[in-house]
Amino acid sequence: MQLKLISCEIFYRELCAAVSRSPNTVDIEFLPKGLHDIGCTSMLARLQEVVDRVEEGKYEAVLLGYGLCNNGIVGLTARATPIVIPRAHDCITLFLGSRQKYFDYFNSHPGVFFKTTGWIERGDSRGELRQLSIQRRIGLDSSFEELVEKYGEDNARYLWDEMCDLGRNYRQLTFIEMGVEPDDRFERQTREEAASRGWDFERVKGDPSMIQRFVDGCWDEREFLIVRPGARVAPTYEDDIITLDQL
Amino acid sequence: MVDLTQLHDAILRGDAKKAVAVTREALAENASPTELVSKHMIPAMDEVGRRFECQEYFVPELLLSARAMKGALELIRPLLVEQGVASAGRVIIGTVKGDLHDIGKNLVASMLEGAGFEVIDLGTDVAPGKIVTEILERKPNIVALSALLTTTMPFMKSTIEELRKAGVREQVKVMVGGAPVTQQYAEQIGADGYSDNANGAVAIARKLVSG
Repeated sequence: MQLKLISCEIFYRELCAAVSRSPNTVDIEFLPKGLHDIGCTSMLARLQEVVDRVEEGKYEAVLLGYGLCNNGIVGLTARATPIVIPRAHDCITLFLGSRQKYFDYFNSHPGVFFKTTGWIERGDSRGELRQLSIQRRIGLDSSFEELVEKYGEDNARYLWDEMCDLGRNYRQLTFIEMGVEPDDRFERQTREEAASRGWDFERVKGDPSMIQRFVDGCWDEREFLIVRPGARVAPTYEDDIITLDQL
Repeated sequence: MVDLTQLHDAILRGDAKKAVAVTREALAENASPTELVSKHMIPAMDEVGRRFECQEYFVPELLLSARAMKGALELIRPLLVEQGVASAGRVIIGTVKGDLHDIGKNLVASMLEGAGFEVIDLGTDVAPGKIVTEILERKPNIVALSALLTTTMPFMKSTIEELRKAGVREQVKVMVGGAPVTQQYAEQIGADGYSDNANGAVAIARKLVSG
């Protein structure tokens, strides 16, 4: 099969590895991770634009390397080519290999922030997208110094505690090892970041099999949604995560 | 006599120290606590809300104004209680089970307090059963639920189901909010109110308590 893969760059190494082993011919287009930060309406518009540019008749399917991602794919419409989307809340399902594994880990480990090679290499928003990000627009990504300059020392301290202190919501970094790492540098970096924040650290073994099934064309409908031409993505907020919204 | 426009301005500017100082002075001069709240403080917060809607104010300004309002209210509240003045309504607020995010929830809590509601904040990762217990004990008018993740949104639905099972659903109004939550979802799970921002949440809460 000839496939077009449009994906968040968070999966860069994993998808390149999966594509290299796939029986299919896959053209890859990675999009910046920062699209997640600009709000779901703008994210959808950018994704739709890329989907709409896909040459008609060239591919059997467009693979969309995104989860529901905070509703960022809600409303995405398939044009001439069907779109295949993993049933996932976000990338962690694909890193861990199934939404059940994510669900189990999530429930037994409250306050975990995940790291992978992609989250380390490509986790920070840059350039134009950073300026457009909701965090920037509402002041959540300010440095303490910026807050002091704008609001004075006392108010800055209050705002910092209320808005910017990640430590209130997170207490652990979990490094998901996907088997695509060159050495232990990414794990080490995660371990060091956890230590510097005073958080726990855990390394878990990821499972790239769902990513492989995605690019190989093994699209069981319990695991992937196929959006046929003219249909549109809708959230279910149930176990199946996404469904079709008929036009 | 202390100039009470200073109280209004201090809240508008998010100057907590000034708001507290002016309130203290006004109370020492026997100003009416209810008038301080209804004529100066709530109008100031309404103006803060208006500026937020017009995008003249953003989240930091909301937080700072709410903090100034809260500081002044702490001095006034005991007097209101003494005089038997009722609050705008009692709200139980929390982030649903599995979700530890609280920036939005705290902001809504502050804005509701600023609007004269009595707010009981249950924090984050609040299990449905805990909400049932609190409803039985505290008899709130409103339960406000927050979620930041699509992973945890289903707990809004299960919380409402739990209230129904426990037979307390009809005793309260339920409002929901948080980045991925939508009006459509609120309707789907049978919530009574939804807002996509903290200022709107105040308007919804006022509407819900007025019946």
